[in-house]
Amino acid sequence: MTHMHIPDGILPVWLWVLGFVLMLAAIGFCLTRLGSTNQLKKIPLLGGLSAVMLVAMSLEILPLAYHINLSVAAGILLGPVLGFFAACITNLILALMGHGGITVIGLNALLLGSEAVLGHALFSFLKRVRSVFLRSILATIGTLIFSTIILIMIVAVSQSSPELFLPEHEHTSKQPSQDGTVNLLRFTVLVVSLGSLGWILEATITGFVIRFISRVKPEMLNHVLHRGQDTSRGLP
Amino acid sequence: MIDVAKIDYWASTGTGFLHKASPISKILFVLLVVSAAVVAKNPYPLLLGYGFLLVFARAAGLPWLKIAFFSWYGAFFALVYALSFGKESFIILLFVLKAITPALAVLMLIVSTPYPRIFSLFTRILPEVLAAGLFMTYRSFFIVLDLMGHFVTAIRIRGGFSKGRFFKNASNVSPGIGMLLIMTVERSSRLYATMMVRGYQGSMADQGDVTVYPRDGVPLGIGMGVLLLGIIWR
Repeated sequence: MTHMHIPDGILPVWLWVLGFVLMLAAIGFCLTRLGSTNQLKKIPLLGGLSAVMLVAMSLEILPLAYHINLSVAAGILLGPVLGFFAACITNLILALMGHGGITVIGLNALLLGSEAVLGHALFSFLKRVRSVFLRSILATIGTLIFSTIILIMIVAVSQSSPELFLPEHEHTSKQPSQDGTVNLLRFTVLVVSLGSLGWILEATITGFVIRFISRVKPEMLNHVLHRGQDTSRGLP
Repeated sequence: MIDVAKIDYWASTGTGFLHKASPISKILFVLLVVSAAVVAKNPYPLLLGYGFLLVFARAAGLPWLKIAFFSWYGAFFALVYALSFGKESFIILLFVLKAITPALAVLMLIVSTPYPRIFSLFTRILPEVLAAGLFMTYRSFFIVLDLMGHFVTAIRIRGGFSKGRFFKNASNVSPGIGMLLIMTVERSSRLYATMMVRGYQGSMADQGDVTVYPRDGVPLGIGMGVLLLGIIWR
């Protein structure tokens, strides 16, 4: 549950507009970070890895209605800047498939992009962990817990209340909500109960994928691709 | 799975009036329907709008039953969100319709407009790295999809999927995804070399035409109609 499948018109306008503004600010920041490297060389790579993410995201796992994201894997392989761009591209194409609301594109890009950035950061931070498999699993679970907390916070700050969606004449006949606390608790229980199965699935697959890459083509994990340098040194 | 290859085929081969409308008018049509979902506080105008869109899709020669089926994809997540608000059937219906009505409009856009024509409009507002990235993702997607299809067939033939053996299945599928990533990176490197030889200098996407023609009145009219329903019927 790492990007929101919340339909259009549920979140308040200020929140999704803020999402777009923050997304644009993040893109601007990433462009300045990318400026010093060879952008042209990155575009085919960015497209290739975004396509793999897209294929992974379009494979739904029934009956969980969950799909893997590979956003952490993209962050580990592409680095934070290109990982963020890959998240933006994938998210935009998914929205054009009717997968997630149009108005939540900004917030979704931030959520998915933060997974790529944090996944990369945690994977680098955990370099003392010898096993690449375990390192990837820890980075993925840590990242997904973080992004789920952000998702719940977004819903909390939206201060959405059932009364907002009831017709005028029904307002008087209903008990007022308790500042949305009960709703948020229920939402959290639903998201965490469904999402935790997804975390395990995502972390396991990411762990196996990164372990496979570390054995077959270890230089991909040395971030040679987003540094634009050539090195053949592999991970243990 | 959402079949992007099939969507692309429908978008490229159709001859209905929606196929002939300009991409900008269809994007405006989607934005109008999204606005209707944003302002709607009542499920019934959205239900009526959804019905209108289906009739319109059928009249335009679109695969209306298939896109109607795809549009329900977001309903499950809307249901999860609605249930967190309570078990009020009015709210559940409203949330589900807020999810599926714009999704249907988006699907009508993509089954009647090839992706490159949509992306070419985005090049007017997106930085080059993202605009070109969109095109490259689109191009690579079909290659990756093909490779994935071969991999799934191979793993099924070898009995790689077993019911209830989650860890075993994950360990069998993951090398395939890893291999996909490696092959994609290698193909990307070759593609970059080819592009450089052919004179690529950082711009691959034409900027799309934003002219609105008289034939665009139909999608714009339908979009306005759905929005008016959402505004008036509260």
